[in-house]
Amino acid sequence: MKESFRQSMAWLHTWTGLMFGWLLFAMFLTGTAAYFQQEISRWMRPELVANADPANATQAAIDYLQARQPDAESWFITPPSVRNPATEVFWQPKKVEGKPPTRRKRGETSATLDGGGHPVTVRETRGGFFLYRFHFDLHYMPVIWARYVVGVAAMFMLVAILSGIITHKKIFADFFMLRFGKGQRSWLDAHNVTAVFALPFYLMITYTGLVTLATQYMPWGVMANYASTETFFEELFPGRADVPRSGVAAPLVSVSPLMAIASRTWGGAGVGSIQVTNPGDSTATITLRRSATTAIGARGESIVFGGPSGKLLDRHAQEGGALATQSVMVGIHAGRFADWGLRWLYFLSGIGGTIMVGSGLVLWTVKRRAKLPDPMQPHFGFRLVERLNIAAIVGLPAGLATYFLANRLLPIAMADRAEWEINSLFLAWAGVLFWACVRPQRRAWVESLSCAAALFVAVPIVNALTVPRNMLTGLMTGDWLFVAFDMAMVALACALGWAARKAARAKPKTMHRNRPNRKELITA
Amino acid sequence: MAVPPTRTGIAQQRLHVLARAIAAIIGGYVVTALAVACLARLLPMRHAEASIAATLASFAIYAGIIVAIFWAKSMLRVCMGLGSALLLLGAALYLSILTGGRL
Repeated sequence: MKESFRQSMAWLHTWTGLMFGWLLFAMFLTGTAAYFQQEISRWMRPELVANADPANATQAAIDYLQARQPDAESWFITPPSVRNPATEVFWQPKKVEGKPPTRRKRGETSATLDGGGHPVTVRETRGGFFLYRFHFDLHYMPVIWARYVVGVAAMFMLVAILSGIITHKKIFADFFMLRFGKGQRSWLDAHNVTAVFALPFYLMITYTGLVTLATQYMPWGVMANYASTETFFEELFPGRADVPRSGVAAPLVSVSPLMAIASRTWGGAGVGSIQVTNPGDSTATITLRRSATTAIGARGESIVFGGPSGKLLDRHAQEGGALATQSVMVGIHAGRFADWGLRWLYFLSGIGGTIMVGSGLVLWTVKRRAKLPDPMQPHFGFRLVERLNIAAIVGLPAGLATYFLANRLLPIAMADRAEWEINSLFLAWAGVLFWACVRPQRRAWVESLSCAAALFVAVPIVNALTVPRNMLTGLMTGDWLFVAFDMAMVALACALGWAARKAARAKPKTMHRNRPNRKELITA
Repeated sequence: MAVPPTRTGIAQQRLHVLARAIAAIIGGYVVTALAVACLARLLPMRHAEASIAATLASFAIYAGIIVAIFWAKSMLRVCMGLGSALLLLGAALYLSILTGGRL
């Protein structure tokens, strides 16, 4: 601890990075994929093709819910949009007095409808939404704990970025320095280039990520002013309190004119979602929220109408500066507003971040292998990091490919199909971990990378064999989603294959390596 | 780096690191929490606004404190810094809530 500031920061960077690097890699990768969650969902539900008028589809969805769920507490409707051709509805079933709400299976309180309000038979899948949720909820564990774990990881990431910047003094010069085939130096360059490449993005995405769950991680700002957090949320979002049904039946007004009014109020922006509370009752309200695609802020404006009267009851109150800032911070994290160009930039930056974390993890072992007392027989900690690196860096991509394959290969009528798609992702991941543990580490890298590449190659092939939409039909009919998806799979396969080839050819520099000079030690 | 590592040297170093890590992670969090609470009470805005503004700044404060703790020359300075921040912020928050109350 008596070293210079830069050295202590280098130390901090190394160890904060290693502690949560594996989890951060998974968060980066699934978060990156989640920028295309709607597209992934569309690919995973190839049955969906309809593209309906949002206003008509919403009315049709309300008619569907009116017929089937007349006494629900509330209905939620997401009309079709450019990125999702179907109408998604879900409802909150009527509460039974004196009975706690039972956990229901997903399909029992939700439906996917076409433009005419008819349920569409689609394969059961959680699609891209699962990748989005895994990004901060993980899986196989209570959500609340997962979010704390993820938050701690993000905080480590923030510290790793800051200490990394301080450590790295020649940040600009090194951006133009990528030396291939130089062992440790190449890994360091790869780490630096990907880190500097989108540094503002990493800082932004880490900080705003923490902000999305800030009131869970740092409740003290709210608690300092409010004895109960409910008072706080009531002040922020007034009128959210449940109004009991009056028992007087009253039909709902037609929703299309309301959507037109809302759209006019928002300067032409579309409606993102519709919520109907106490449907069919005289106390019913219809809340319209602005589509997330038209403004950066995540907290879209909303308008509340009386259900039976259609009268404007409430408009989203003017936000203050801090609230607007928070809304924008969450908004730029999720990137729902982004059009195609910006969405791809988000995606590429995310890939850059994934590689940055991955190369940082590998660098940890590469740097230390040369200095081991006996490089042929590394100590347990070193071997553990080595193996976990393989499992984390190759396991998840292999898992993702398997997830896509399972979507096409599992029987349509299978029980708990969606859950088994997810299970197959983790089985493949576990498979790579197992392989990494039983094989010599260099072979394990080559073999698992090749296997992951093969899985990604298999996705377009299996897709072409199992569903009628693929790259060729897409090119002919202008079904660009299927063209882009297949190309993305091939690109990923190529990248993994290239990595496998690199790993196979790399010469281990263990015995005769010169001791790194001081400058390298500091900048590493 | 100049001194060759010995067994006791390494053990001592690890102890130092552990102390710093605990000071940074736990001490840093507590000081951040107090600082955020004080900010939320003292910022001249609506209560909800001030709470949110302070919360938004919290992670920058926390990260800054962590970096500072690892930067500090000695553990004594870390303890003195954390201790005085705790006392000062804690007293300010206590007085503020005592006189102003909460909603």
